Amino acid sequence: MLRRINDFVSKNRNLIPLVSTALLALAAYGVGAYFFVGMRNPQVFFNLFRNTSFLLISGIGMTFVILTGGIDLSVSGVVALTTVATAVLLRDGWNPWVVILLMLAMGMTLGAIMGSFIVYLKVQPFIATLAGMWFARGMCFFISDNVVGIDNYIFQILGQTKILIPGLTELALSQGKPAPYINIPVIVAFLLLFAAIYVAHYTRFGRSIYAIGGNEGRNEQSARLMGLPVDRTKLLVYTFNGFCSALAGLSFSLFVASGHGLYASGFELDVIASVVMGGTMLTGGAGYVFGTFFGVLVLAVTQALIQFIGTLSSWWTKIVIGVLTLIFIGVQTVLANRKSGRQGAQTLQDALRKRQRLALGFGAVAVLAILAIVSSTRLGSASSTENPETAQCVIKPFREAEAANLIKDGAVIVYNRTAGPLCVDELFAIYPDGRVLGNDGVNNVESEVDPAEVDQMLSKISGDYKWFTDAIYGRYLTPCRQCFAHYVSVSYRGQEKTVSQVDGTASMPQGYTLTLALIRSVLPEINPAP
Amino acid sequence: MKTSARSSFTWRKVTENKLFFPLLALSLILLFDFIFIPGFFAIESRDGDLRGSLIDIFRNGSTVMLLAIGMTLVIATGGVDLSVGATMAIAASMAGILMNPSALKNEVFFVTDPNYTFQPLWVVIVLSLLVSIMCGLWNGVLVAYMRIQPMVATLILMIAGRGIAQLITNGLRVQITYRPYAFIGQGWIILPFSLYIVAVILLLTWIMTRKTSIGMFIESVGINFRSSYFSGIDEKKIKLLVYTFCGFCAGIAGLVASSNVKTSDANNIGLTTELDAILAVVIGGTSMAGGRFSLLASMIGALVMQAITQSMYAIGVPAFALQAIKAVVVILVILLYSEQVRGFVRRISSSKNEV
Repeated sequence: MLRRINDFVSKNRNLIPLVSTALLALAAYGVGAYFFVGMRNPQVFFNLFRNTSFLLISGIGMTFVILTGGIDLSVSGVVALTTVATAVLLRDGWNPWVVILLMLAMGMTLGAIMGSFIVYLKVQPFIATLAGMWFARGMCFFISDNVVGIDNYIFQILGQTKILIPGLTELALSQGKPAPYINIPVIVAFLLLFAAIYVAHYTRFGRSIYAIGGNEGRNEQSARLMGLPVDRTKLLVYTFNGFCSALAGLSFSLFVASGHGLYASGFELDVIASVVMGGTMLTGGAGYVFGTFFGVLVLAVTQALIQFIGTLSSWWTKIVIGVLTLIFIGVQTVLANRKSGRQGAQTLQDALRKRQRLALGFGAVAVLAILAIVSSTRLGSASSTENPETAQCVIKPFREAEAANLIKDGAVIVYNRTAGPLCVDELFAIYPDGRVLGNDGVNNVESEVDPAEVDQMLSKISGDYKWFTDAIYGRYLTPCRQCFAHYVSVSYRGQEKTVSQVDGTASMPQGYTLTLALIRSVLPEINPAP
Repeated sequence: MKTSARSSFTWRKVTENKLFFPLLALSLILLFDFIFIPGFFAIESRDGDLRGSLIDIFRNGSTVMLLAIGMTLVIATGGVDLSVGATMAIAASMAGILMNPSALKNEVFFVTDPNYTFQPLWVVIVLSLLVSIMCGLWNGVLVAYMRIQPMVATLILMIAGRGIAQLITNGLRVQITYRPYAFIGQGWIILPFSLYIVAVILLLTWIMTRKTSIGMFIESVGINFRSSYFSGIDEKKIKLLVYTFCGFCAGIAGLVASSNVKTSDANNIGLTTELDAILAVVIGGTSMAGGRFSLLASMIGALVMQAITQSMYAIGVPAFALQAIKAVVVILVILLYSEQVRGFVRRISSSKNEV
């Protein structure tokens, strides 16, 4: 029985990563649907595709590149360049169809240039494409420094057309829910996927790609000796990936309706991770284009789960993806060793391999266990505190009118703090006679400081920290989950100035930081921490 | 230094020296600066400390120089370490959180006292370096014992590392106000203090690789790890050592970088520096396929990268557009070193001789 299982596994080992990825994606979605009612909504399922259509498009091109044993790090740069160039050309009134064709041509040209460096000058793929990424990202900022919006009519149609899912529409409407839909980039991504599957498995070009990759470059030599057009195939593969990157860039610009050079940073890592999770060997030569689809799906489900859990921050996505990539690479290494273990049956090496396999197994189990513990505690805490306002608190706007009234009443410093992890909303007023009043909408507090101290504070704020000069300016962004938003109004000797900031944003002026620290040092606590 | 007059001095000998191309590149860039940027070479003494654009190249380049030391050894074994940027961020986050742990309480707490620190400085430095050594060890185990391709193995930490760094600091950017720590990256003792750190590490590495047999083992592993194994070199331990050392160097670089900006910012510290470090090594002439290496050439490579950056800033190229220029430089360097182009040049020159 064991032997039969062993044989079966050996026979279909190429399918193992693919099947396990598919199962993982389904299981993750199932767990999510079990814990969170919101995830059972069909629209959430279709949003997985809507949010990752560009990832899938780019992943298809990357799969081909990795199958030949190469790698392409330039995708994120090309995506960003496409968004910027598209946005600027549309702003200048070009015909959108011409722009789309131009972008695809640009992507192919960049891909072909990098490919020819790799093929004819024997530059390592990773260095050549790295240079390509830098070049593309740098060019973005030669074109435009700022975010450029896209408000072209055709692009709006392409980006916002809802395609209803046949069969599900009536069902959703009968339950009184809006009908689930996908959009045009998803359709494009799937068309590309089917075309790529056809090319990879049913054409001569596809077979050459598989023949080139693998075995640490030795297969490339044998492919050459067999008379396969190695150079041409590799060049075409990189050109195709350039095309995919540009297409992904167009789809991305439909998604965000703007273009900027900083978009899609770290995108290439997501693409590579989803290709690896799809079961393609990074050494090349083995894998399926269809696997990449499941790899993308795993990534999308992970992101969705982390969004739904809510208490987990976005960086957990990176860690989870890193761990999953590690596990898949480990599985592939084991499978590859199994393959080569057939040929040379040296006892010493066999023993070594067995030990290695054991170590790997234990490592994977340990990592999974840690992950399970962490996620179970997090999940537990999330589900046990299902309803509190802390989980999904709404950031309250500054009480500007109230603050202005307090200043009119004679307060010299008014300080309003909102947001933060618990979405506080605290408003404090400091009066020249030393009274400090505070409330958070529910509780009121009051405390007393020396009037001389207030005067000293004011002179320090206006003098040392240059409050009333241009050195102190406001920059308000939406606060992140942990950050607080501060609103400070100071009135001193007839001057009055209000500045609002969010901490965690790039550069608070030095004086502002110091002022905030000074003010916060005299404030009473409204809700003493338990 | 090799151009000193010798009896067997020939042009060919000079051009085939490892230091020749990096030095040529550096002098070309400096010549460009000399012509186009007035006052670039001016060095003034302020309170006994030397300051000027030239010194700034060394000071700002110290991070890449530190990374390049570790990276040279890794590349010499035929590998590559993509995770150094993430390791830098992890070390910096560790240091930041040990000095200002308020971020763990989910609140940005404005410490303005320059003498406040939660842990003494030596604990901060030792713990951060330990964490970075662990990162290097992890890479080394994956590469040497699990036999995963170096690029892939280190890619994992590159993806997950920034997440780990944010986990340490709870996703916040930690302000570092402790003055003795700021001295690491911003202090001056006649020359910038970070330069002394680079010099010490470089000297230690040089002794380790050139005065013991480790250097030769590294080169031998890089040329052919199988034959090294059969000739009695424990190639796995050598690889483990090299990746661990690279993690250590990245940790120091992370401390220098975070003390330079006085914050530990898990998202931005060491962003894309792994590429700078690899390029520094490549400009230094160490082959990506492994084998012979030269630490000094990598140092000059790092200076070339920094000199380009500095001169582009000086003539007013925006920071982001700089990448495009770097890419062009990289392509030129690749062309310079590629066998095809060299063979082409050799053919032309030999045909000239025949005529």
